[in-house]
Amino acid sequence: MSDLELRAGASPADAPRSARTREDRPRRRRMPRPSVVLAAAFVGFLLLAVVWPGLLQTAPPDAISPAEAFQPPSASHWFGTDESGRDVYSRVVAGTAPSLLIGVLATAIGLALGLLLGGIAALGGRVLDFVIGRVNEVLFAFPGILLALLVIVLWGPGPVTATVAVGLSTAPGYARIIRGQLLAIRGSGYVEAARVLGHGRARILAAHILPNALVPIAALATLGIGQAVVWASSLSFLGLGAQPPAAEWGAMLSAGRTYLGTAWWLTVFPGLMIVATTLATTVLGRALTARDGARR
Amino acid sequence: MPATSRRPGARAAARLALPLAVVAALALAGCTAAEPGAAPSTPKPGGTLVYATGDAEPDCLDPHVGGNYPQALLAGQVLESLVSLDDDRQVIPWLAESWTTSDDGLSWDFTLRDDVEFTDGTAFDAAAVKANIEHLQDPATQSSTGYLAVGKIASVEVVDDTTARFHLTAPDSALLESLAQPWTAMESPAGIARGMDENCQAPIGSGPFVVDAWVPQDHVSLVRNDGYHGGPADRGRDGAAYLEAIEWRFLPDAASRYAALQAGQVDVIDNAQPDALRQAREGADGLVEIDAPRPGASNRIELNSGQAPFDDERVREAFIRAVQLDDGIESLFFGTAERSHSVLSSVEPLAYADASLFEPDLDAANALLDEAGWSAKDADGIRTKDGARLVLRFPVSTNQSIPAEQSLFEQIQATAKEAGFEVQLEPLDLSSWYGALFTHEYELVSAPYTKIGPDVLRILYHSDSIVPAPSGYFANLAQLSNPELDALLTEAASASDPAERAADYEAAQRIILEGYYALPLYDQQNHYLHRDAVQGARALPTVSTPWFADAWLAD
Amino acid sequence: MRARRIRAIALRLGGALFVLWAVATLTFFAIHLVPGDPAQAILGGPGSQAPQETLDRVRAEYGLDQPLVVQYAAMLGRLLTGDLGTSYSLKAPVAELIGGQLLGTLTLALAALALAWVLAIGLALWSSAPGRVARGVAGAIELTAAALPHFWLATVLIAVFATGLGWLPPVANGSASGLVLPVVTLAVPLAGFLAQLMREHLLDALERPFTVSALARGETASGIRLRHALRHAALPAVQLSGWAIGYLISGAVVVETIFARPGLGRTLLRATELRDVPLVTGVVLVVALVYVLMTVLTDLVATLADPRIRTAAA
Repeated sequence: MSDLELRAGASPADAPRSARTREDRPRRRRMPRPSVVLAAAFVGFLLLAVVWPGLLQTAPPDAISPAEAFQPPSASHWFGTDESGRDVYSRVVAGTAPSLLIGVLATAIGLALGLLLGGIAALGGRVLDFVIGRVNEVLFAFPGILLALLVIVLWGPGPVTATVAVGLSTAPGYARIIRGQLLAIRGSGYVEAARVLGHGRARILAAHILPNALVPIAALATLGIGQAVVWASSLSFLGLGAQPPAAEWGAMLSAGRTYLGTAWWLTVFPGLMIVATTLATTVLGRALTARDGARR
Repeated sequence: MPATSRRPGARAAARLALPLAVVAALALAGCTAAEPGAAPSTPKPGGTLVYATGDAEPDCLDPHVGGNYPQALLAGQVLESLVSLDDDRQVIPWLAESWTTSDDGLSWDFTLRDDVEFTDGTAFDAAAVKANIEHLQDPATQSSTGYLAVGKIASVEVVDDTTARFHLTAPDSALLESLAQPWTAMESPAGIARGMDENCQAPIGSGPFVVDAWVPQDHVSLVRNDGYHGGPADRGRDGAAYLEAIEWRFLPDAASRYAALQAGQVDVIDNAQPDALRQAREGADGLVEIDAPRPGASNRIELNSGQAPFDDERVREAFIRAVQLDDGIESLFFGTAERSHSVLSSVEPLAYADASLFEPDLDAANALLDEAGWSAKDADGIRTKDGARLVLRFPVSTNQSIPAEQSLFEQIQATAKEAGFEVQLEPLDLSSWYGALFTHEYELVSAPYTKIGPDVLRILYHSDSIVPAPSGYFANLAQLSNPELDALLTEAASASDPAERAADYEAAQRIILEGYYALPLYDQQNHYLHRDAVQGARALPTVSTPWFADAWLAD
Repeated sequence: MRARRIRAIALRLGGALFVLWAVATLTFFAIHLVPGDPAQAILGGPGSQAPQETLDRVRAEYGLDQPLVVQYAAMLGRLLTGDLGTSYSLKAPVAELIGGQLLGTLTLALAALALAWVLAIGLALWSSAPGRVARGVAGAIELTAAALPHFWLATVLIAVFATGLGWLPPVANGSASGLVLPVVTLAVPLAGFLAQLMREHLLDALERPFTVSALARGETASGIRLRHALRHAALPAVQLSGWAIGYLISGAVVVETIFARPGLGRTLLRATELRDVPLVTGVVLVVALVYVLMTVLTDLVATLADPRIRTAAA
């Protein structure tokens, strides 16, 4: 028995995503996977931290107390305290809203621009494709940080600039992938078939191209939020994004890095939050796209 | 009955004894290793020392051009000055053997050493001194620090090969201190004549090392000047350096720099961070610290008295009484920085300090603010007067303030709020920071300034320094304009009697401190860390740059 | 047929030249929108106390007293002759400065790209393989890798492999051992990203008719994954290589700072801080050139890998 035969007979969780969604899912509904449950719980925690941080905090995030500086994690300070004696856990909670906002907004900007450019390029005909291709290449030819640096030099460093900069610098990437996806779908068999059947352009677009493009774009977007948080924290590291004393994770991380030899918890916990947020949004995003596939 | 079973404490004492013995032995070993003249301490010639600097990479290695601290760090290995300072900050001979001044203070005769040659073979003589001063004064050189330092020199006369006569426009009690700075060091006239581009790449001096190559963003290679002899009068030996070469690396990231030192990849680092210093002081990793605070001004927060609300002395005093610094400095700097109560560095003999002026007193602060009319409070607890909030804008240069200092400012923000001040911290990059200063959009600001001697007070607090240079820069950030102070500073700068000079500077500092124009923090922190295998390295007392002419590697 | 191909090539080259021109123009005007005086930047930044006559001298020397349009035309004219101008801050020819830094960054970026590809292919094959545990573990590795910020990863790698174990130097030392940590730092997040992309397409490909027909021909499943499906899955990743180079050069700004490696990234960061217009323009143009070359190359590879694009182009 080959690998593929094995897979077809295996449980839905083991099957490739699309195979599972198309064949097994309607027949056997099962509990969500533990990773999805965990991710959902974590995102729930994040949302709570955005909406009602006070509920989760164990101390005021900005209360300075030099006598309590650099305490390692303990029962009273779960993530330890920082150089000014502030509770790191409470600051991480307080930093959720600004950190996520940068990620979400930057992704929205990048994706919107990417969809616009990529969509026009793929579906708007040869001339538009050529023009957009050149515009896109020009944007692309500014590597992310450089575009960010230019935006920052123009508007001055800060969280707003960092958001726009990250959004702009991710846009050409989205545009290119989206264009590629759309072109591949346009050239695929079922679109050819629809064309042979005499379906109109708009109908093909609505019925075949967009739904098929939606899944990979949604996956991109979920990946993008985490990536945008990572990018923004890199700008903070270079001193160009959010600055301490802001409780933004990237800023906390770069401020804490100075004390790596003395207080590892200042670097580790904000870093873990960034990684965990990216993981959770991606896992959730995948689960959602899988359900989306099943519905169709 | 055995003593141990009868007295439980004895066993504990025995348990303690062993580690203590080990510690003692280690401490002793450490002492012998550091003791000069002891058996393992015979200087071993040869080897390459790797120095990692956290300061910015200079644009030009010639310290005459511009003139900043990163240039001084490197130039100190290559160039020599006319004079130097000893540990007591007395002026001592270096390239000049002796000097005399005329009674009116307008003419100085420097007798030069006759046995010095620049490393390109050019002789060091009075003509060379003349060429150097003229190079500093030529606008084409684009000198800033050195230009200001030689500002009172009208001309240099070549009396004979070994006598250079300086003619001044006004008496200058800071002349020798100015000439001891690396920014006015002597370069080969033939080297200068090559033009700025070449001279920036490799200035030619008479020092213990020679610039061999500069690989931008990586390192500068320095090789030994085999013909080197002399040195500042407190050197204690003669002849060429022990080290064959120095690799001068640019390592801007503090954490990486410390990691490289721990891994033995580099031998010496500058700008060591407080927690690394504490680890070194606790004996970690065989690291040794050189604590060399910079001369000139201390690190202090200037209170902009040129506009409301700090044009009212009561509000200035209230702010200074409201903030609490001592605990924060202790914890943020891990005990490596000492609180200062003077606007001058503690290494300056004429520094005047008065701790009583900076005693925190929240009640007094509240009373002063009420008295000054800032009696109402808004919902956030911020004081108001005629509808205006008591806001203090505090632009912070992230390039010039280390993280611990930025954290200290956050603590100032928190403690000042208790008295009803709203301190708005604005972390800015260098150009935005200068922008905020030029447009007077600040009430508080901290700006370091390095210069030898108390004459730095004239630059920082004379009302002339409120007038901006074409660049917009002005050094009197407290915008202190006081005719009495101006007179004292001008008089001190030309005073020939040391006692009179000291009295003038004390009076001047009292005006600054008692008028609450500045909040001193601590000396300009300047700590070097090196592996214990590096022997004989020291910081020159002039501007606290390291000097490796007598350094050697024990491994 | 040949005429059409020549036209296509000419169009491609024209497009590339257009990109370079647009990049130079955008950069030039963006930098000149920034408040501040370039003459001050030349004289050591706003903190310098340069007298007025020195400022005037410098303005004349660098042509800064000319109208912006004249300066722009002068810049374009110089570019045509391959002259990138003189750096304000380092007072040396920009082409020379960049030439000295380009190799270091390209070595870093290409080594990281190669490592990322190897890691990504391995991960994608592993995570698309049957077996719940293997797939779960590989999938988790991919996701985590893509979520790692460069400077955090670099910090952790230094703490573990340099300070902790002492195996590798924490900062560049001019030899291959000093290249290991920077390359790994850059490659790991990229590999996670590429692997996810490849896996998606790999799984798609395994359901396509050619897989079934290959199975019918008697090929083994792992053979199909390697020969057919992987080629299919690699296509979008190949198309991303141009982007990946940009991503890596961006990452190089952080990595070169932490590991104290000389390179374009650090040059760029410094030049931007100092408002060194000729140097910024030069770096951007060179990076754009690298990008354009890379896209031409990846288009070519993509055409070879995917018959659909070949037919579409023909």
